[in-house]
Amino acid sequence: MKTSPKTSLRFELDGDPSAATLRLAGPVRRDVVAELNTLLERHAPGSGATLTLDLADVEAMDSAAVAAMVTAFRRARDAGGRLVTDPLSEQARRALATFRLGPDPQPKPAPPGLLESTGGTVIGGFQGFVDFLQLAADATFAIFDALRAPRRMRWGALAEQSIDIGSRALGIVGLITFLVGLTVAFQSAHQLRQFGAAIFVADLTAVSMVREMGPLMTAILVAGRSGSSIAAEIATMKVSEEVDALTVMGMEPTRYLAVPRLLAIIMMVPLLTVLADLLGCLGGFLVGVGYLDIAWNAFLNKMLEAIAPWDLISGLIKSVAFAYGIGLIGLFYGFRVRGGASEVGRTTTASVVASIFYIIVADCLFSVLFYIVL
Amino acid sequence: MPEIALSVRGLKAGYGEKVILKDVDLTVETGEIRVILGGSGCGKSTLLKCCIGLLRPMDGEIEMLGQRLDQLDGAERTALLTRIGVLFQYGALLGSITIGENVALPMREHTDLPESVINEMVRLKLAAVELTHAEHLLPSELSGGMRKRAALARALALDPELLFCDEPGAGLDPLTSAELDELLMRLRDRFGMAVVVVTHELLSIERISDKLIYLAEGVPIADGTLDDLKYSGEDEVRAFFARQAAGEMRGPQTALEALAAGG
Ligand SMILES: Nc1ncnc2c1ncn2[C@@H]1O[C@H](COP(=O)(O)OP(=O)(O)O)[C@@H](O)[C@H]1O
Ligand SMILES: [Mg+2]
Repeated sequence: MKTSPKTSLRFELDGDPSAATLRLAGPVRRDVVAELNTLLERHAPGSGATLTLDLADVEAMDSAAVAAMVTAFRRARDAGGRLVTDPLSEQARRALATFRLGPDPQPKPAPPGLLESTGGTVIGGFQGFVDFLQLAADATFAIFDALRAPRRMRWGALAEQSIDIGSRALGIVGLITFLVGLTVAFQSAHQLRQFGAAIFVADLTAVSMVREMGPLMTAILVAGRSGSSIAAEIATMKVSEEVDALTVMGMEPTRYLAVPRLLAIIMMVPLLTVLADLLGCLGGFLVGVGYLDIAWNAFLNKMLEAIAPWDLISGLIKSVAFAYGIGLIGLFYGFRVRGGASEVGRTTTASVVASIFYIIVADCLFSVLFYIVL
Repeated sequence: MPEIALSVRGLKAGYGEKVILKDVDLTVETGEIRVILGGSGCGKSTLLKCCIGLLRPMDGEIEMLGQRLDQLDGAERTALLTRIGVLFQYGALLGSITIGENVALPMREHTDLPESVINEMVRLKLAAVELTHAEHLLPSELSGGMRKRAALARALALDPELLFCDEPGAGLDPLTSAELDELLMRLRDRFGMAVVVVTHELLSIERISDKLIYLAEGVPIADGTLDDLKYSGEDEVRAFFARQAAGEMRGPQTALEALAAGG
């Protein structure tokens, strides 16, 4: 009986390859099974050959040892050979008797081919778009229903969502747009000063903040903060069957969950946008007065002259459209999720990417529309 | 192999300020199936959480397989944890990988076994819980009872010497439940595995329990064999076996009783 130099496996091999005997002794546990497996592979009985495992001196066996022997047994059988255990110690007999032999390994289901998966993606994408429109329609109707019957409105939830989406975002939205206003003013100051037109920094900052940067930056921040949290929250409720529970309790999830969130986001984003406009202009104002040395009242006057009511209104129209889209996209991705925890993470990411994509495309369309058509 | 698989002495535990368990003493020998009984919310899961180191006790000590988990760290802690298995109340399978991969996870992490042996081990464990056909499915594609069985297969992945099960029978049909009981008893008899199991199924209790402990509001009020508990001096314990409805006996009066009596 040899003891392996690497591990404590004790074994002995007798006989010729057609009828070999492998004797094992001592405890055969998972610390020696890797080596046992190598031995069994090396001495696998070929066609017509037999390998006998003599387990009479085996003091203990665990499921890893059983698995190694079963693997060898299957391998031998597939090659037309035989593997038998004889004789067995009581411990070996018990270990082998504990586990039932499962069926032969099943192949993993093959992943779909290129054509199939491309087709699947296209159909899935189209179906997703149809589902999105369906949700948008349902949610819009639900909002009008809720407004017609204010008694059934969940005012508490609406207030909670509004605080989450609105008040809690004041700081970050204010800070970011202030910095954007500062940066825009600063960048343009350099260019415009070359033409002696430094005062136009006021026009440029005011108009670009109110028409463009205010709504855009606010929407992107809200998409990252609140769109993602809507998607994650609904998705979590979906995978833990809370959404199903609401459905069977007779509470339409689009109404119960979607309406407060959508109303809150539609109300809060324009308000945040007003704040963003103000702080962006403040940033520009500070550059004008502090860096360009323009008299503060002159700069302020110029700013106020530059902004027409329509500038403000068009910005706010945009912000409502952004808000509605962010809310719907968050809800859509949340409700769409299937599976477990990892899907929640994936769907949240996807919802943020989709919202930001939507915001940029919609902003582009609106800008063109407002300048050319109106 | 140590004679005592688990020993809990003077355990006091809870969440934050709230004390859930008090004065819990519990000894489980190797090759013994110990059933924890008690109404829901009495702290059974909390007791398991303390044993496996997920909740720090406020007082008392817990020794598993001759070692104290709270005094170990690093490799020694991991080594002790690989010798125990845990079946969580809700399965706790990882949702992003298949059932087979879930069962293989501890084997891949803690052993250097070749892939072919690991795959065979996965099939043995899945066959033991009657789930071979589910190897390549995701947990979200299984029923609740199947998930429970898959989770048991994962708990058994490394042939634990001490197994904790939180309500293994819940959500299973009587036949599967009986087969799982058989499996636990086989592992107890053949490998000397100790099992600590929380269950309410009377049938299952009668089949598997070597010893039982009954918790009432976090305090053990009975500890012994099935007969000891059936003829216990405590009304609640006797009622559990008599009708499994002690709640009715000690519960608050009904609205009718209160209102008809006029306050
Ligand atoms: N994470 C937690 N935080 C606070 N209290 C908890 C927590 N988990 C459980 N509890 C409370 O501890 C008590 C015992 O819970 P548990 O051990 O889960 O009961 P069971 O016996 O049904 O398994 C319950 O009253 C429960 O409300
Ligand atoms: Mg519990």
